[in-house]
Amino acid sequence: MSRAPTTGRYVALALTLAVAVMSTACGKGQDAESGDRAPGVTKDTITLGALVDLTAVFAADSKTVVQGAKLYWDTVNKNGGVCGRRIEVDVANHGYDPQKAVSLYRDMSTKVLAMSPVLGSPIVTALKPSFDRDKMLVSAATWTSQVLPDPNFQIAGATYDLETVNAVDWLTREKGLKRGDALGIVYFEGDYGGNSLKGAKHAAGELGLKLSEHRIQPTDTDLSTQVNAMKTAGVKAIVVAAASPQVASVTTVASSIGLDVPVVGNTPSFSPKLLTTPAGPALTKNFYTASSIAPAPSATGDEKRFVAAYRAAHTGEQPTQNGVMYAYAAGRIINETLSKACDDLTREGLQKAFRSLTDLDTGGAVAGTLDYSDPSVPPSRQVFISRAAKDAPGGLTAVGAPFESDLARSYPFGK
Amino acid sequence: MNEFLGFLVNGLSLGAIYALIALGFVMIFKATSVMNFAHGSIVLLGAYVVGRTHDEVGFWWAALLGILAAAAAAALVDLIVLRHARGADLGTLAILTIGVDTLLSTELTREMGTAILDAGAPWGTSTVHLGGTSVPLSRLVAALVAVVVVAVLWAVFRFTHWGVRMRAAAEDGTTAALMGIRLGRVAAGAWAIAGVLAALAGVFLTSFPSPGISPAAGVTALAAVPAWVLGGFDSFPGAVVGGLVIGVVTALSAGYQEHLLFLGRDLAQVAPYAVMFLVLLVRPSGLFGSKEFARV
Amino acid sequence: MSSGTLIRSVRRSVRPLVLVAGVLLALAAPLSLNGFWLQSGLFAMAAAVSAIGLTLLVGRAGQLSLGHAFFVAVGAYGYCYLAGTSSADGVRGLGLPPLLAAFGAVVAAGTAGALFSPISGRLRGIYLGLASLGLVFLGQHILKNAIPLTGGFNGRDAAPLDLFGFSFSDSDPAGFLVLGVPYGQLERLWYVGLVCAALAWWSARNLLRSRPGRALATVRDSEVAAGAMGIDVVRYKAAAFVLSSMYAGLGGVLTALAFGRIVPDSFGLSASVAFLVMIVIGGIGSVGGAVGGAFFVTLLPLVLDHYSGRLPFLSPPGSEGLDAAGLSEFVYGLAIVLVLLFAHGGLAGFLRRAATALRRTPGRDTDRPSDDERAPLRSHTAKEPAS
Repeated sequence: MSRAPTTGRYVALALTLAVAVMSTACGKGQDAESGDRAPGVTKDTITLGALVDLTAVFAADSKTVVQGAKLYWDTVNKNGGVCGRRIEVDVANHGYDPQKAVSLYRDMSTKVLAMSPVLGSPIVTALKPSFDRDKMLVSAATWTSQVLPDPNFQIAGATYDLETVNAVDWLTREKGLKRGDALGIVYFEGDYGGNSLKGAKHAAGELGLKLSEHRIQPTDTDLSTQVNAMKTAGVKAIVVAAASPQVASVTTVASSIGLDVPVVGNTPSFSPKLLTTPAGPALTKNFYTASSIAPAPSATGDEKRFVAAYRAAHTGEQPTQNGVMYAYAAGRIINETLSKACDDLTREGLQKAFRSLTDLDTGGAVAGTLDYSDPSVPPSRQVFISRAAKDAPGGLTAVGAPFESDLARSYPFGK
Repeated sequence: MNEFLGFLVNGLSLGAIYALIALGFVMIFKATSVMNFAHGSIVLLGAYVVGRTHDEVGFWWAALLGILAAAAAAALVDLIVLRHARGADLGTLAILTIGVDTLLSTELTREMGTAILDAGAPWGTSTVHLGGTSVPLSRLVAALVAVVVVAVLWAVFRFTHWGVRMRAAAEDGTTAALMGIRLGRVAAGAWAIAGVLAALAGVFLTSFPSPGISPAAGVTALAAVPAWVLGGFDSFPGAVVGGLVIGVVTALSAGYQEHLLFLGRDLAQVAPYAVMFLVLLVRPSGLFGSKEFARV
Repeated sequence: MSSGTLIRSVRRSVRPLVLVAGVLLALAAPLSLNGFWLQSGLFAMAAAVSAIGLTLLVGRAGQLSLGHAFFVAVGAYGYCYLAGTSSADGVRGLGLPPLLAAFGAVVAAGTAGALFSPISGRLRGIYLGLASLGLVFLGQHILKNAIPLTGGFNGRDAAPLDLFGFSFSDSDPAGFLVLGVPYGQLERLWYVGLVCAALAWWSARNLLRSRPGRALATVRDSEVAAGAMGIDVVRYKAAAFVLSSMYAGLGGVLTALAFGRIVPDSFGLSASVAFLVMIVIGGIGSVGGAVGGAFFVTLLPLVLDHYSGRLPFLSPPGSEGLDAAGLSEFVYGLAIVLVLLFAHGGLAGFLRRAATALRRTPGRDTDRPSDDERAPLRSHTAKEPAS
């Protein structure tokens, strides 16, 4: 180098930069310390964050959940809001990418009071440390008991393992499943499928059933091999802890090879759109869901009006159990929590109000009354059994009232 | 034994679909040296067009529309995008197709929204019983179509002018161009044929025993990549054999999952790649691929 | 003094100023950036370190790899395993000091690269690319099934980095202030990211100009010629894979630290593809390009999502029209296509040409990579492309 620049220039530049940075630094410092109001709360609004997948594998489910949540809060806002404030929902798309989700959540966490809903189990898992840090109340669109001891999670009713325990119990009472029989289970890897499998193992152990287990991935849509293997194992019923494409494949393949047995799915497993595909006849014959969320025809009161409003606003869409009806139930639980926390609208205040809900009646949107006082057990152990029905709104009608089997009542949580 | 036979037949029929997709990969690679990651979207596009139109025009016309749409889309990808990057390195070309795939699959996912379309094939959910095991009729049709397609392709390459031009272009592009062969047309034609194969595969991939057309079909199409590599990336017979091998491996590892627990659950996802590794260790150019030109 | 020498002397005095200003800005950034930008920036720095490794492998050694995410995962999980402690749910850990664990993780990633050498040493071009694709699926299978090591589908926590009692987390010391700004986990990690990225950049630039670097370029251009010149081709190819894997491993450690908890889905096919997109957009073989590409690919969707609320033509999320999520995907896809079609040599090549055009003087520029360094990956197949 021929000529070094004068040190004077360096000093001048460094000083200018230092001044510039320090002036912005003061801004950040003040932001972080002005703690008299919680993030997401202003004089007349409360903002909730929704972190969903609008572009990747769960795009269809996410869309109905977002539609349902928007409609629910619109209705609430029309009737005066909560705590004298309007509720706004800030929606972000993580595209099923944990890295994107973590970054987007950083952005969101400074702007929202609570998260409702968060969708996608790898996303929820990756965000757990962040939720802990922020003491964020989260209604995750999942029912896995693996999040249980964590106080941040609000689960809308019975967990997947309880759904399956109740479903197996129901199969023995109503569908002739008996000691010594084989039971098939097709499940996703991960905490959804794994949690349902846990329930199935418990029930099989207690009731003396043999399990035929088949783990699959969300991209598997041709399950003929698995169903053939279950036929060879002589299963008398099948549990599906997967999504709607897998339910359609299992049910149709089973009936086409003469395996005429009931198929029960967990909450996320069904879409009413399947009923107009070639899978329709087999589904209406043999398919049931076990879920803590009420199917649309069972809605009463406010929820019934909500279903009507949804159908009016979204022609061609169905009030799905795991999307729209779930969004209503989750909204209602958050609404009750906020109403109890009006005097102390902070993250801590919200957590306290949430844990003080001991016999929350959602007007039938969620099976049973919900008791959130103990973070280590689910708020309820009851489920609806619904059967696939072509003309019912949402494609499902309840079979009998929600119930809690003896097996579910004694099902152990925690280690 | 019956169980094994069932898995085998199932795997072979699935392999026929993989073979259709792998043939498309070979076609495109031979003509333009492109590793086409947009193939999954083209498979999806073909199936989507069939699903959207079969209610109005009937399945056969819808199938024709789907095939035409996929062929046109594939040819357009070549004409609009790849033509302007001829001679670029493998990595660049591959990434270009990834860009195209992102655009195409985003638009298709958006179009589909929450709907579940089905291909509306006339064979529906019927099953055929064969020697103590049962196979979906759609899979038998798929296998039949694959056989016909392979025969037709062979005849086209062997006997038509276009086939001769294509072979000449693949053998030595510069000389072929000097002989008056218009490489651009040959390339676009190859892409279009790959599009036809993709649409056929798309229809079978998304009809029974699969539930309908979903964006997952594009991902499933990637399962044909090990079939392509296994067979040798510039060999048509290799694509067929590779497809069948991968189909059988997938079916067997899914069917005997419970007996293979020491390898971890969900083996069917990884088994095709494990087989691919083994073959590549023994034969670095795949089963039927051209040998490399020099050894050091 | 001719105009050319004048411009050169101005450039010479401006260049260090720009460098100093850049370093100062980077150092001071945590004072003013909020959590979102720090988090995204950290992910981008981690991606940059990994991408530098890949650009050395693909651009310099001519070995196309679609399995880079596998080695990043080895680094990330290796760190978590070595630094983590055993927990009640069957996940094991060795509880080593974090710095040692980070070092071990990089070595582990290098070892994984070496284990792959029976395949990477024998295959070339497209075969290596597609074979390495298999690594991603193999990796996912291992990550989901080797539960004591990886925690399975739900992943495992990453122990915070700790240097001589100073923890790169929100505590130890808690309430740590710099110029009145609270320095939590992200602010502290920011400097770790800067150091790693600078280290990766510096070592890669040096390597490119060294004797082994030139040997690798010869192997890339012609294995026969390289062999004839006495270069041990197989050894060099294996070494390139090991080296690139070690960069990936370091990137993986950073990723794990930035996440706090890692899950297998972060290291799948789309991650591998993203690394390749980064180096191609940046300009294959260019270290600066890899860094630029990493920032571009990592930040683009986040920034679009961040500012989408201000774009009037977008419809609300979840409705039928084009929403921010869809737009971001379209821009990503379109950016890839446009950069590759119209900016040969990626962003690095584009900038170089722009600079040349602006200067209009054919002056010597020592920092410019030679054409040789930018030479693209050749297709090593028996036949020439058809057209």
